[in-house]
Amino acid sequence: MEKPIFDYGVNTTRRHFLSKLSLGLGSAALGSLLIPDLFKGGGGEPDVNELMAGLPHFAPKAKRVIYLFQNGAPSQLDLFDYKPMLNKMHGQDLPESIRGGQRLTGMTANQAKFPLAGSIFNFKQHGKSGAWMSELLPHMAGIADDLCIIKTLNTEAINHDPALTFFQTGAQVGNRPSFGAWLSYGLGSENQNLPGFCVLLSRGKGNGQGVYSKLWTNGFLDSVHQGVQFSSGENPVLYLNDPDGMDRTQRRKMLDNLAELNQGTFNDFGDPEITAKVQQYEMAFRMQTAVPEITDMSKEPESIVKMYGPECLVPGTYAANCLLARKLSEQGVRFVQLYHQGWDSHGGLPTEIKGQCMDVDQASAALVTDLKQRGLLDETLVIWGGEFGRTNYCQGTLTKDNYGRDHHPRAFTVWMAGGGIKPGIVYGETDEFGYNIVKDPVHVHDFHATILNQLGLDHEKLVYKHQGRRYRLTDVAGKLVKGIIA
Amino acid sequence: MSRILSDWKGYVYNIAFFLNGLLVFLLFFESRFAVPQWMQALGRVHPLVLHFPLVVLILYSLWVMIVRKPDSHTWNEGLADSLLVIGTFTAAVAAFSGFVLSHEEGYESDTLLWHKWLGIAISLAAVVWYGARKSLLPWTVGAKVVAGAFLVLLFVGGHLGGNLTHGEDFLISPLGPSAEPVQHVAFEEAKVYEHLVKPVIEQKCLSCHNEEKSKGGLQMQTEALLKKGGKGGKLWDTTKADLGLLISRLHLPLDDKKHMPPRGKVQLTEEEVVLLAAWVKSGSRFDQLVSSLSPQSPVYSYAQNVLGGDRTEEQYAFSAASADEVQKLNTNYRLIKPLSAGSPALFVNFYNRANFKNQDIEGLLPLKDQIVSMDLSKMPVKDEDLKALAKFPELRRLILNFTDITGGNLTELKKLANLRELSLSGTGITMAHVKSLEGFPALRRVYLWSTGISPQDLETLKKGQKIAFETGFRSDTLVMALNPPVITNEKQLIGKGETVAMKHQIAGTVIRYTLDGSEPDSSSSPVYEKPIAINGNLKLKARAFRKGWYGSTQVSKLFFKEGFHVDSAQLITPVDQRYHAKGAASISDGKVGDTERVSGTWLGYVENDFQSYLFFKKPVKASVVTVSTLRSFGSFIFEPTRIEVWGGADPKTLKLLKVISPGVPAKDIPGTENIVYEAGFEPQQLSCIKLVAKPLAKIPAWHAGKGNKGWLFVDEVIVN
Repeated sequence: MEKPIFDYGVNTTRRHFLSKLSLGLGSAALGSLLIPDLFKGGGGEPDVNELMAGLPHFAPKAKRVIYLFQNGAPSQLDLFDYKPMLNKMHGQDLPESIRGGQRLTGMTANQAKFPLAGSIFNFKQHGKSGAWMSELLPHMAGIADDLCIIKTLNTEAINHDPALTFFQTGAQVGNRPSFGAWLSYGLGSENQNLPGFCVLLSRGKGNGQGVYSKLWTNGFLDSVHQGVQFSSGENPVLYLNDPDGMDRTQRRKMLDNLAELNQGTFNDFGDPEITAKVQQYEMAFRMQTAVPEITDMSKEPESIVKMYGPECLVPGTYAANCLLARKLSEQGVRFVQLYHQGWDSHGGLPTEIKGQCMDVDQASAALVTDLKQRGLLDETLVIWGGEFGRTNYCQGTLTKDNYGRDHHPRAFTVWMAGGGIKPGIVYGETDEFGYNIVKDPVHVHDFHATILNQLGLDHEKLVYKHQGRRYRLTDVAGKLVKGIIA
Repeated sequence: MSRILSDWKGYVYNIAFFLNGLLVFLLFFESRFAVPQWMQALGRVHPLVLHFPLVVLILYSLWVMIVRKPDSHTWNEGLADSLLVIGTFTAAVAAFSGFVLSHEEGYESDTLLWHKWLGIAISLAAVVWYGARKSLLPWTVGAKVVAGAFLVLLFVGGHLGGNLTHGEDFLISPLGPSAEPVQHVAFEEAKVYEHLVKPVIEQKCLSCHNEEKSKGGLQMQTEALLKKGGKGGKLWDTTKADLGLLISRLHLPLDDKKHMPPRGKVQLTEEEVVLLAAWVKSGSRFDQLVSSLSPQSPVYSYAQNVLGGDRTEEQYAFSAASADEVQKLNTNYRLIKPLSAGSPALFVNFYNRANFKNQDIEGLLPLKDQIVSMDLSKMPVKDEDLKALAKFPELRRLILNFTDITGGNLTELKKLANLRELSLSGTGITMAHVKSLEGFPALRRVYLWSTGISPQDLETLKKGQKIAFETGFRSDTLVMALNPPVITNEKQLIGKGETVAMKHQIAGTVIRYTLDGSEPDSSSSPVYEKPIAINGNLKLKARAFRKGWYGSTQVSKLFFKEGFHVDSAQLITPVDQRYHAKGAASISDGKVGDTERVSGTWLGYVENDFQSYLFFKKPVKASVVTVSTLRSFGSFIFEPTRIEVWGGADPKTLKLLKVISPGVPAKDIPGTENIVYEAGFEPQQLSCIKLVAKPLAKIPAWHAGKGNKGWLFVDEVIVN
């Protein structure tokens, strides 16, 4: 009973005390060596906001990222990877030589046969690069000259949770900081009135898989870097407006007083979470004026509505999120992430994927065009893709016009636009079965390294020491994919 | 033997003398001298042998220069004498072999001429010196003069020889300014030959194929000479599979004798070989711009790597601003940051229109020498402010999207000598202003979306000029379908005083609706203006219309009028345990209209009829009983074949009030739908109502489950 009371009385644990002592004394000594008049009195500088700290390591091509994440894994064989061999061998078993012992999910592990399923959709070539795209994506086909289509993404994860976690945090184990959190840590936010990392969710009618806050967590980084999830309803940021009867000056006074109280607690306990909390309150205060301007869709001109499709005015849809993403990015939000659920077509793929594509095709293409016509595409990196691909063999019963596909991590397609990525090319090749990679593989780590490079960060230098080792987004791997960098 | 050895100097001298004589003889008949194959080897020892006379004779000459009259005249004299004779001999060999070598291919130039004659001069002079050494004693002035002359000859001649093999500036080139391996030329202006191919040739080929030294008769320093080719003929031939001499030699294995560059010299990198092959294959043109190539071409990707891509990381000529100054001028609404750690260049972004003041631009003038990019989009920037912007000489990028400028003063920006990118989307500028942009010195890209300029005028801009105009999405010709209106009611049971409301997100849309189950159309159906009051159960269908758009698809919903409050309900027959919901309470809980069979609001019956009592403590004047059922043939859920409504004061005094016989369905109807039956009868006071509904006893033949029992799902009974 004595020790807890003692600890409370001292207001600190042994660890805190010793580390504070040694760091404090040491840094004081060093400081006085480097700065001759350190111990002189004088007006202190105002606290530089943590979020302003970071600078890129070298001149960046892109300043912001919009990541259109297609949750559930869209079928690359029905969208981007044209494999007529599959149509020719429709119904035949997948040769073991091609499969090469790839592990299967629990869903298809008990299947006796793996009949190949050719896509029932027509493919055509588009753009100067002659990129193949199916009839499901007419609008994306229209901007083929702006896209860099990478067909050879690969990952080790075979199920959604580890694969999603891998893509968002750089490791299949959870609780590492997410991409946006690393960027917030490394570069800070451009606009102090908005969070640096925003997450927008939408749901398609297809078979959906969940998304969860682990994917935009700050992990072991400061909680200031956490992604802010916008709600899908009429008010994207809940509880942002002052309650009736309270106006802004009152709010300001309240926050000032609250900050004083919190500062007192911080002086007692030294918990950095307290300062983080104070900063979040301040950010929310600034967001009160900045956000309504952005989320007000009623003033959008008709040309914009036509470009994104009328769905863009219905809050909570993918199109609305794309429009909101453009607006947020335009205002300096560093990383905007969209999740569109419903791509997990284990069965009934033709119907489900049609619905999904109707949801995303026009709006994704519109987003790229919209950024381009504002002169922002060069400094904004737009990414579209899922967490893995789908198999070339059918899951469940295969009929002439209906099939399902299981998860396939070995090769799948992701496209990127803007942000200093080469436009109008197709990178990488898969074999004629669409199963293995033949040329230029791009692993998730390589993908992350390249994106960080475009933002002016050396992926090996953006580290954070935690539990004795220096963590980074690309863990211990990752090579730049030079072939897609313009 | 020992006699020969002690007399060796004599022999050596004689051989030297002979060689010199032979050399002089051959010089007279040089024009007729042709080197036979076997003798070429003799010529080739020249680079080996020449080192000896150089070293030895320099050593000897130096000794002569510094020696004084000795006390004993045998001091070092023996050694010196040997040096001279060896030097003479090796000079003769070197000169002779040099002479033979000079007749090989590829050596025709001034340097060669000088080197040759100097070499021969040295050789002859050495022979003479040895012969006259007794009269030219080393410590005499005369000897020293001769020695000095020799040194000069040796150094100059030797140096020229070095020039022949290694190039003129071989010695001092590392000391000078670093040779620009990559010319800092902008990507858009780079030429394929000038900036990509030529550097490779200069670095890797020119040392042996130039004016001074032209192996194989080939010189490569100019376009004309390249085209001319050498002894082997033209360098390229696109009709051949190996693309001709140049490329085939590059592609040979390193061990091959004919491989170029020769083994031992710096080799071309793989990318350089690919570059040259692609260049030759495309016609070895000397005038082509890199930017005109397709991004797929290997030449293009080589260019991107070497020239640094579309945007070279620009080296800025100015130094960084003071951090204090930047910190002072930084606010929450005007962000100033360097491009990257260590870069002197700054970019400025403005946020929050309400906080913008025009002085904010002028306030940045202390940093005018470092600001390279400014983003003023959505700020209330006016034409007058453009004058202030013109004061920032280092601006390369200026974004003025959706500002209040109209184009006046736009020419002020002409002063910006570095301005490359200008974005004017969403402003009021006109075509005339756009034309004035042509005069801007460095402008390469202009964004003109959503300005007042007509689409026809914009079309005229697209022709390839110095400036690339981006005009954005054109929506005036596009007609699309609207999205359907949104029915805002969450629940489908409408109480007293409640209404049914709809809305549409796009302003100016007209919503037309029907209540009778017919399809709404844009001309005859009533227009929705205010929420609809409900008198009985109704099926609402609505569509949205707007000029310039196709009409939307239909949205429909079923609404029920709330009935008398049921005091208690009792199920007479057992409900199937799989779909028991909340038992009797479910049929009067107000939750109706949900079409999800597993939602927990439906009661399912398959083995027996649905029979229930509804009790009212106080008798109600009832005239219609509404039964809400589900139809989903795919889930084996069918409409009841018969519904009976009984009513009375208590369970024992019930009278049959109404029978509805929906019958057996004749064919498949896909999907799931809420089917409502309204049993109307004479209005009367009732305290107890009994409801009977029979599920389909035998599924008809057209259904997959033929012969089995069908399901009946009921979720609500409403008494009105």
